[in-house]
Amino acid sequence: MTGFVATAPLASPHAHSGGRVTWVMGKVMLALAPATLYGFWLYGWPAIHLWVITILFSLLGEAFCVRLMGRRAIPVLMDGSAALTGWLLALSLPPWAPWWLGAVGGLFATVIAKQVFGGLGQNLFNPAMVARVALLISFPVPMTQMVAALPLGSVGAPDFVQGLRITLAGMPNYDAVASASLLGHAKTELSRGIDLVQTFASANAPALSFIGARTGSLGETSALLIAAGGIALIFLRIITWHIPVAMLLGIALPALIGHAIDPARYLGAGTHLLSGAAMLGAFFIATDYVTSPNTRLGQLVFAFGCGFLTWVIRTYGGYPEGVAFAVLLMNALTPAIDRLIKPRIYGRDRKGKPMELPEEKA
Amino acid sequence: MNARDIFKEGIWTNNSVFSQMLALCPAMAVTTTGTNGLGMGLASMAVLVCANVLVAMIRNFVSPQVRIPIFIVLIATLVTLVDLALNAWLHDLYKVLGLFIALIVVNCAILGRAESFASKSPVFYAALDGIAMGMGLTLALTVIGLVRELFGSGTLFAQASLLLGPSFAFLETTVIANFNGALLMVLPPGGFLVLGLLLAGKRVLDAKLERRRPASADFSNAEAA
Amino acid sequence: MSTLIDTWRAKLAYQGISLGIVAMFASAALVVGNQLTHDAILKAEADDLASSLAQVLPAGGNDNDMLADTVKVGAGGTAVAPPVTVYRARKAGAVTGVVFQRAERGYTTDIVVLMGVDTEGRLLGVRVIKHAETPGLGDKIEIAKAKWILDFNGKSLAEPAAAKWAVKKDGGVFDQFAGATITPRAVVKAVKGGLEFFAAHREEILQ
Repeated sequence: MTGFVATAPLASPHAHSGGRVTWVMGKVMLALAPATLYGFWLYGWPAIHLWVITILFSLLGEAFCVRLMGRRAIPVLMDGSAALTGWLLALSLPPWAPWWLGAVGGLFATVIAKQVFGGLGQNLFNPAMVARVALLISFPVPMTQMVAALPLGSVGAPDFVQGLRITLAGMPNYDAVASASLLGHAKTELSRGIDLVQTFASANAPALSFIGARTGSLGETSALLIAAGGIALIFLRIITWHIPVAMLLGIALPALIGHAIDPARYLGAGTHLLSGAAMLGAFFIATDYVTSPNTRLGQLVFAFGCGFLTWVIRTYGGYPEGVAFAVLLMNALTPAIDRLIKPRIYGRDRKGKPMELPEEKA
Repeated sequence: MNARDIFKEGIWTNNSVFSQMLALCPAMAVTTTGTNGLGMGLASMAVLVCANVLVAMIRNFVSPQVRIPIFIVLIATLVTLVDLALNAWLHDLYKVLGLFIALIVVNCAILGRAESFASKSPVFYAALDGIAMGMGLTLALTVIGLVRELFGSGTLFAQASLLLGPSFAFLETTVIANFNGALLMVLPPGGFLVLGLLLAGKRVLDAKLERRRPASADFSNAEAA
Repeated sequence: MSTLIDTWRAKLAYQGISLGIVAMFASAALVVGNQLTHDAILKAEADDLASSLAQVLPAGGNDNDMLADTVKVGAGGTAVAPPVTVYRARKAGAVTGVVFQRAERGYTTDIVVLMGVDTEGRLLGVRVIKHAETPGLGDKIEIAKAKWILDFNGKSLAEPAAAKWAVKKDGGVFDQFAGATITPRAVVKAVKGGLEFFAAHREEILQ
């Protein structure tokens, strides 16, 4: 996320919070851990293998670029940003995806989306989301093959070796474990003319569960644990409430209006908030320091845009899920937002004109 | 000015895609396969050579005030002729490239050469420059196309026999069989990614060559660049 | 001479006249070019159409010029439902099959299929001639990418039954692709619609 520029202090203030990039990244990872562990339990060994591989290749890509620039790799890797990028990417992949998906994604995230721009703090777009979108466009079939949850220890769940085989060699009988995510299911049914009321009344409709035992990628199953981690981050003062709240509002408001007008065409606000990567996006992805605006007002605009675009893409777009696209689109607007919405300079108004001093009466 | 310099400029040091960053529209749009890149490159080269020759022929009669409209009329005419010829005699290729042939008109590389070289040079050198620049453009488009094709569909020069005739069918290679490909490479973003990486590669190569060259380098090139 | 040119070039009239002369030559070149290529282009386009028509008919199924033997059939020929051009294949004067286009909304835009039907309403062949489906997912409807489209050969409205004219996911007989249901669904719908169209206008088409 953010980088602290270590130049000699020229002017006050000189106070330092004592925070370091590594600590910030570490706290974010801690906040992600409960949801990730829950996902591991839900999807078993293949998910764990994929997670490890994705992070490994993110680090590899970062190290490769840093070496190419003639710097030492270890200190850069130690800031934890590459690992976090890999982690977020792994959370957005289908849990039983083949290993090369994680590998290509990890390399793409750190090499193309981050180091090409100049590394930490210089990238315009969120690296994890760039990689996810690149994978989704490049390999639509494996990126949309979701499996039904098969918790560790339950009957038929793959053990360590079987899991390795699934990750490395691909799924032997995909049709047996195939399942559709809620958003995907709603979109396909709608497209063949079956309205949403009917879709969710039928028996095999994907269940909506707040706890999260349902089909999806690791980061979209448990909205509750993700939100809990995010709220912990707010209390730890790693992030502020502005972006998550505005983004969730951006999804919920149009969803509420749409659902009130025509429940057969538009999904409800609750479904939107608890499905897909809405929570992950609001708390962990849109809040990236580097790619979001600097001012509070700018952040509100940015995050509301992310939420609204997510709803638009989910409702009218070709893909069932739109968080990654929405965040990237708003990332592209971040410089413009930062240009238009600037903090007021002391003694000047918002436009930067000097304020009129009250005239002293003699 | 000599022929060797003209070719060196056109193909490498002043390559219209990799150095001048012109002609990016066709470079992005049609280079989904090596064959398409080659076809577009050759079509552009034909226009480029003819345009250069014509412009050099009439260079003494054209006044500076109306030179741009005159050059554009000439180039547009040539492009339309190429378009008609391809449609008539290379119809299969035309179905692939059709939409983009017309765009050769607005290819800045062609107007750029007419303006900066042909309008100031004798016919012979203008023709040479057209060939050299065209070769550079063809090289660039073909290389971009090949890289995108390799990663996007796992083949090289697919359907080359459509362009060059059945005797060139040997060019068509399938590098990775049953490869679904990274679709991103075939889609427009792939063009930008590959162009960016190739540019970086060329810069690295140039820097290496520069270091190897003795200190008493000729300055004519440095100025031209 | 060059000095003479120089004095002329400075004049205002020279600009217009020189541009006019160049434009005149350009127009002349275009006229000549058009003359030279006109017939070849018409022939190439006709060949194009003929070869796609031939794809959906059995080899040697006709001995007539199908491009000349057409009939316009339509539901009144309104703007909403424009008349459909039906190409007829004949052998020794008797109609052996007909070819026409049918379009159905796919994942992105209309998918246009060309279908060959024999006189009994059995499918001789189907090809997708225009679509904008997702590459790698929906484009398996192209013959160049997959053999899927050949599944239609020999099918008719009676075989399989009307309820089975659907993809397997919807309880029908046609395969869908991994990750893409909408595209094959649209093609099946288009072909079924085409067969119904043929059944409704059979007399008109075959007369």
